[in-house]
Amino acid sequence: MKKIYLIICLIFQLSCFSQNKEILYNFTSIPQSLMVNPGADVSYKYYFGFPVLSGISANLGSSSFTAYDLFANNGVDFNQKVRNVVNQSTNRDKVVTNQQLEVFSGGFRIGGRESKSYISFGLYQEFDFFMFVPKDLAILALDGNINYIGKSFNLGDLSMKAEVLSVWHVGFHKKVNEKFVYGGRAKIYSSGANATSTKNSGYIYTGQSSTDPNLYNQIISSDLELKTSGLSKFTKDEYEGNVVKDIANNTFLSGSLGLGVDAGFTYYIKDNLQLTASIIDLGFIKQSKDIETLTYKGTYKYDGVNPDFTGNDAPEDIFDEFDKAIPRDTLYNKYTTWRPTKFYSSIQYSFGEARPDDECNCRGKINTYYKNAVGAQLFAMSAPREPLFALTAFYKRSIFRKLEAKATYTFDTFSNKNIGLGLAGTVGAVNIYALFGNVLEYKDLSKASSATFQLGINFVFQDRDD
Amino acid sequence: MKSNFYKVIKIVILSLLFSSCSSDLDFGQIDDLKLEPAFLANLAHFDIPANKLIDDGGNHVIDDSRGFDVFKDKFFNDHLKKAEFNFEFENTIDRAFVVSLELLDANGQVLQTLTFPIPAYRGTANVIKFPTEVFENQRLDLLKKTIKIGFKVAIFEGTPLNNQSLGGLKLKSSATAYLIIG
Repeated sequence: MKKIYLIICLIFQLSCFSQNKEILYNFTSIPQSLMVNPGADVSYKYYFGFPVLSGISANLGSSSFTAYDLFANNGVDFNQKVRNVVNQSTNRDKVVTNQQLEVFSGGFRIGGRESKSYISFGLYQEFDFFMFVPKDLAILALDGNINYIGKSFNLGDLSMKAEVLSVWHVGFHKKVNEKFVYGGRAKIYSSGANATSTKNSGYIYTGQSSTDPNLYNQIISSDLELKTSGLSKFTKDEYEGNVVKDIANNTFLSGSLGLGVDAGFTYYIKDNLQLTASIIDLGFIKQSKDIETLTYKGTYKYDGVNPDFTGNDAPEDIFDEFDKAIPRDTLYNKYTTWRPTKFYSSIQYSFGEARPDDECNCRGKINTYYKNAVGAQLFAMSAPREPLFALTAFYKRSIFRKLEAKATYTFDTFSNKNIGLGLAGTVGAVNIYALFGNVLEYKDLSKASSATFQLGINFVFQDRDD
Repeated sequence: MKSNFYKVIKIVILSLLFSSCSSDLDFGQIDDLKLEPAFLANLAHFDIPANKLIDDGGNHVIDDSRGFDVFKDKFFNDHLKKAEFNFEFENTIDRAFVVSLELLDANGQVLQTLTFPIPAYRGTANVIKFPTEVFENQRLDLLKKTIKIGFKVAIFEGTPLNNQSLGGLKLKSSATAYLIIG
């Protein structure tokens, strides 16, 4: 039974973080590190990813509660747990998820044997979800307004976005000389489904004043907007298809299109001191397929029933008045969404020069490398209201020439003791990597406030003497 | 070399998988989710100034009815488990009143009548709070059929009122709606 829960828990996590890939970043023995810095110092003659298994990644994070808080099988009434989670959260707490799956990927060197220019390309599917905890609305749903006379419930607490998309991409990077590598990647986004509700404001207020003709002063002021694309047909009664199949179809074949770019560089200040930076997903999607925008805009003051005994008989109906004051409008305008743009930067100091002990040095050319590297990375990502930041310290070590390990320690919104471990190795042409974020919390996943992993298999071919 | 490589990979992955576990979680609990919010709202109010009740001092009745269509909302109707009404009158007119509220259905039939006798003003504070009217079970079912409220104000004989008369009869009232969702 526990296994089933674990699986559900994992799926829940798959379907639930910030997109920081701090372990993968600048882990250049993994070709996918080009996806977080197109100017990473990665070299190959050619490579291709094991289809569907070359890049599987998922992140989940919740800054105020864990799966355990809600679903622990500990005899505490579920409603009480929901109440506790709501009480311990603030409207700044967030739940974030990102999942990516590479469908295919590959790359090759262009130009001759001496060339250091590379092309890489691929297709991956991505799911993003971002939500602030809508605390005030949760209180209203749990308790109503009865114990909150004088409180203004903030409708602006409602802020979320979700998207399923596929991304076709082609990138180029060039090692200009021993000191400098730059690269860029062009992306075509195809969004199968999008829901965006990030610009809400308004309040629901019940106040009491003895000077008022009424017992209470009740006002709803609403400026709510939910934009969707690729979703409205599923809400219609006559829809009889398969939602998952239809979303997949939209995502890969007939989604709303968008464009984006990645760019990055690697610069060796000294032989053993390296600076990198990248910007990922600087782009937009023009949401144009099956679009629907719902709005509730207006102000309504609720006075109850007010008879007039002087024969002045203007008919009034509470329900109709409310509908007139805060109408539900449906619009069909195209809208543009911006991709969550990520910024990475790192500084790395390498030490412990070593010679490859596993290769004979037949040609007299000595390819030394550094066994150890330490450094720091910065991550930032655009998000509704304010950007997310993370700071990472890392240590990277070559266990053997072609087996590297990286350990990270990250501070971010979700955790201040996030230790990550990653391992990447190449045997022959087979490149395998497994990266796990927040390993301390793997001892009990259900209590993890955030978890991330990336796994994958590639086939990488180098020149024989590399 | 290769065997070393696999050994390290194996150890790392297996140790991660085996050391990773999960507390006993029960996602089925989501079925137990039961929201029980209670909403407090205005119900009805009026303020009748004495100088609008011009009479010769005899008994008479004034009335009006107003739409009250909140129960048209299916969600509200389905989840309303209990309602409470509170009424508060303030009379500063030297006449006694009986105010009745008639809950009317779609055909204009009276479903329930709430009656509030109000004594005449004698120069001292005259605010009367009536006991809470509780609507549950059958009484609640009747309430849910309400789409109109009829107000009848019976004015009992006493000092005649003219356009110089002071004071007034005020009603303030609230409703508390107890919902159970889930």
